[in-house]
This record gives sequence, structure tokens and C-alpha cells, in this order.
Amino acid sequence: MSRSLKKPPFVHYKLQKRVDDAQSAGKKSVIKTWSRASTITPDFVGLTVAVHNGNKFIPVYVTENMVGHKLGEFSPTRTFRGHAGNRKDKKR
Amino acid sequence: MNLDKDQCYHLGHVSKVRGFKGETVLFLDVDNPADYAELDSVLIDLRGSLHPFFIESLTIDDKGFARAKFEGITTRDAATEISGKELFLPLDRLPELPDDRYYLHELKGMEVRDEKHGAIGAVNQVLDYSHNPLIQVLTRTHEILIPLNDDFVKKVDKKKGQIEVSVPDELLTVNKL
Repeated sequence: MSRSLKKPPFVHYKLQKRVDDAQSAGKKSVIKTWSRASTITPDFVGLTVAVHNGNKFIPVYVTENMVGHKLGEFSPTRTFRGHAGNRKDKKR
Repeated sequence: MNLDKDQCYHLGHVSKVRGFKGETVLFLDVDNPADYAELDSVLIDLRGSLHPFFIESLTIDDKGFARAKFEGITTRDAATEISGKELFLPLDRLPELPDDRYYLHELKGMEVRDEKHGAIGAVNQVLDYSHNPLIQVLTRTHEILIPLNDDFVKKVDKKKGQIEVSVPDELLTVNKL
């Protein structure tokens, strides 16, 4: 179910503050965040956000195409290493 | 000739069987499928090893799909055995690119030099995340991930094997414990 239109997109307040600060300073610094659920708004474009994936920070350089998506979509939490069946085949 | 997957690139996969005479539908996961209209053979991953299959006829359809008939595959059952399998081609079959463009696999092993900090290390691997490809550099103490975009990557010198980058200091230490 989509989010109610009367609400603005969710962005963690601390992240929003750091984005606002970075934009006003015009500095291309890296913003560290654990807030994977925050929505990318047009304010983020041009910034680099290091999004934690549970193990490490994945730097995400935000472009216009990413607006409307969540930060977590660009920081995968799993590494695909093939299916179990294929691993058995390789051992033989 | 037995090729390893490291010496090949992923072309696509056999999408499904078509008809009863062994014809298949291929999905070509490439920028321009029309470049492969003259393809005469592919390598198919069968149980972890690559096997060459020669193409009798190939018709490129739209949206990356192509109809293919392989030599020796004349029945629906035989075609079903390769359905869903991954397609590969040797790296030397890739079209040549101009000096200012590069394939992601070419970056592996190149030396990364920062404008401010000098040599950072060598590219360990390229993480091809959707919309956000990254180069991974492993140092003695930590891992450095650099987004592959024009803001950070200033120049890729294929002849020298060097990548010139200009990254903020925080990016070099973001994963340092």
C-alpha cells in the first residue's frame, strides 16, 4: 500500500539536517547514515551518502534517477554466491 | 579449448524453448543486441563448466531477445536441457572501445591514484550494483569503495593501468575501523 499523499516522504531528521547543511555549505562531503528507509529527495542530488548495509558503508553518489527511491535500495545486504545445487556440481 | 569464466563475459541466458524443432529464445543482456547478429557460437554454462555451442541460425528480435537454432539440437527435449542456462563469450570477442571508454572488467588490477593522497592501491574488484557501480580497493587495514562516476573518476588510463580519482577524505576512511 502506498504512503498517504498528505504525508511528506520519510527522511530521518538527522539525515535531513546533514543534507541541508551540506547543500548550504556547497561541500561535497560524505554523509554516513544507517537510515536505509529514508527516501531520496531532490535535495540529495549531487551528494554522496554512505549507506550502511549491516556490515559496511556503501557510498551512493545520488543522481536524479534515484529520486523517490529509498537509500537502502542502493546498498545491497546480500552477496549472491550461486545456488547450493551448483556448488555440489562443482565439487564433483 | 577449455575456457574459464574469468576469461569470458556474461552475454545473457537461454530464455525458453520455442517450437518443437529445437529452436530456443535467447535473452542478450547487452547494450546493443544488433551487434551480435552475426554470432556463430556461444559458450553455455552446463554444471559449472563452459561448453561451446555452434549457432545454425540467429534472428535478433526487439527488447534484447533473439531466436536461435543450435547445431545438434533438433528436438524440444534437447532444447529444454539448455533452457535457463547462462551464455558466455570469450573476452577477446568484445568490440574495441575508444581510449576514453572502458569495460568494467578492464579496471580490475589497475592502480588507483588520488589527486591529493597519491597511490591508494589496486582495484580488487568492480561491484556492479544497479545505478551505483563501485570500485573496491583493499588496503592493509581497510576497504575503500569509490563510486564510478565522472565526479570522482577523472581519468582511466588503460595503457598505464592507472585510474586517477579525486575523492573526499571521508570516502577513504568511511570503512576504517
